[in-house]
Amino acid sequence: MCNHPTVKIVTELDIVAARQLTRDMAKEIGFGVVDQARIATATSELAKNIYLYATTGEIIVQKIEKDGQKGIAITAIDNGPGIENPHKILEEGYTKSSAQVAGIKGVKRLMDSIQINSVLGKGTVIRAEKWLK
Amino acid sequence: MKELKVQYEKVLSDYLLNQNESNLYIGQNLVRELMRSNVSPEDLVSIHKQSLENIVPNLPESVLNSFDFLIEVMVHFGLKLKEHQSLILKQEEIRIEIEFAAKILNLLLETKIPKPIGLDIGMVSVPVRKMNGDYVHFMHDDGNYLSVAVTDVVGKGVPAALCMSMVKYGLDTLEYANNNPSYVLEVLNRIIEKSVDDSMFVSMFYGRYDLANDIFTYGSAGHEPALYFNSKEQTYTDLDSKGLLLGVLPEIKYSQKDIQLSENDFIIMFTDGVTEFRNYIEKFDSRTYIKELAKSLKHFSAQEMCDKIFENLNKLNNFQLEDDFTIVILKKY
Amino acid sequence: MNVNVQFREEENRIYGIIEGELDTFTAPILREELDALSIKENMNVELDLSRVTYMDSTGLGVFVAFYKKVLKENAKLKLVRLSSRLARLFDITGLSELMDIETDKKVEPANECI
Repeated sequence: MCNHPTVKIVTELDIVAARQLTRDMAKEIGFGVVDQARIATATSELAKNIYLYATTGEIIVQKIEKDGQKGIAITAIDNGPGIENPHKILEEGYTKSSAQVAGIKGVKRLMDSIQINSVLGKGTVIRAEKWLK
Repeated sequence: MKELKVQYEKVLSDYLLNQNESNLYIGQNLVRELMRSNVSPEDLVSIHKQSLENIVPNLPESVLNSFDFLIEVMVHFGLKLKEHQSLILKQEEIRIEIEFAAKILNLLLETKIPKPIGLDIGMVSVPVRKMNGDYVHFMHDDGNYLSVAVTDVVGKGVPAALCMSMVKYGLDTLEYANNNPSYVLEVLNRIIEKSVDDSMFVSMFYGRYDLANDIFTYGSAGHEPALYFNSKEQTYTDLDSKGLLLGVLPEIKYSQKDIQLSENDFIIMFTDGVTEFRNYIEKFDSRTYIKELAKSLKHFSAQEMCDKIFENLNKLNNFQLEDDFTIVILKKY
Repeated sequence: MNVNVQFREEENRIYGIIEGELDTFTAPILREELDALSIKENMNVELDLSRVTYMDSTGLGVFVAFYKKVLKENAKLKLVRLSSRLARLFDITGLSELMDIETDKKVEPANECI
């Protein structure tokens, strides 16, 4: 994990740095302009959640490959308060909303897959992947 | 998608040559195709940019950059729009549920006013929103007793409505009008305490009228004391019977008191929607006001008295009552 | 239409001052704040209601629920500095017999005697 490009999220400017990082990586992998925008926006939502709700965190970007397909993975890790019932947020029709939840739902719509692991009081790890079509 | 790009380019190109209504119409029809292919707003902007690049050579750098900017903005815009739409859908679902619940509740809690010989009964019960949090229950079997329960459920919406239906169920089960108030309140308290949320409870004023002897026996569970007007002396007495709200603690005993009625005496029962005036200064004593008002109307029938008191108080509140308003008058003739 | 509550926690006591209106819309906010308190056995909780400008029965509901919570934890609840109007509400509903209600006492943290 340490070898992959990482951006620590502490100030709001770091969100911009994270966006730039993922956009550049997405371009390298071969994603089109629109997908680059989607990936950068997804990163933005994840980074914003870290900035607003957790004390510290980071965004890690990786190039991924599976069965000959290329893609990008964005992982957001934080030491924040954690999320209650993370799997419920991903279900359709989840009604309790907050800006934090809205952000995660947005990431789900922009990327191909999303995984959330969270421990209340300890932190959260969110990993989202997108594949080149 | 490629097919659509080609189509879009053609339509755009036609429009650039000839800005007529027909080309616009064709362009809009393309949207149906686009939706079917799940094209997102940002995809559309990208398609537009690419088509434009093909149609118009040497576009300034700034124009192309502006499209990249628009794509970025569109991604976020699309997200927010979806959020907004799902919120509106949720609201609509809730509204439908509430309307349905209100309809059922109103049917369930329809109150018929009995007309026993010797007692003139009137009632006004007006909810402040769709569902009435107040409920009046009469029971008059063929015997010599008539009972009346004036109930106020704390809380609003569907949970309060369900609580109310439990009250009705309890009262219906205690079939006989000659049950004494202490007993009724005790039983209801147990039923409600067992089944509802910690912050939900009910206030109730329960009275049993002995038609043969003109004795009104009453008990109260945290409810506004009723008023008794003695026609001979022209004075009021508060029908006060201290008791805890229903549903707070399990085993509560309730006391009851008796009062004798003579010709032209009347009793007024109400819920706090009648006495609570939010915008009034502390010094305004609503109970005194109502006493005076009712006295001035005493020559009217019970129903007319209720109607007029409602009209008067409604006006006093600038037609904006804050709580469900319920008033019941029993007049001996 | 707003409600605001501030807490001061000391050893075995919690002092709260509630300000504003308690109605259908604001009561849930107060409820959430009270639910978030961690009540320990034999704790003394005192709530100052002198700045409550309006309360209807929904507001009562919040206090009843909180009272039950405090009771369950074997702690004590006291409501102080109620206006006569509020006191009447607790009186009619029989809650003043159940709960410890006082009118006009200042909530002072340095005050050791009860």
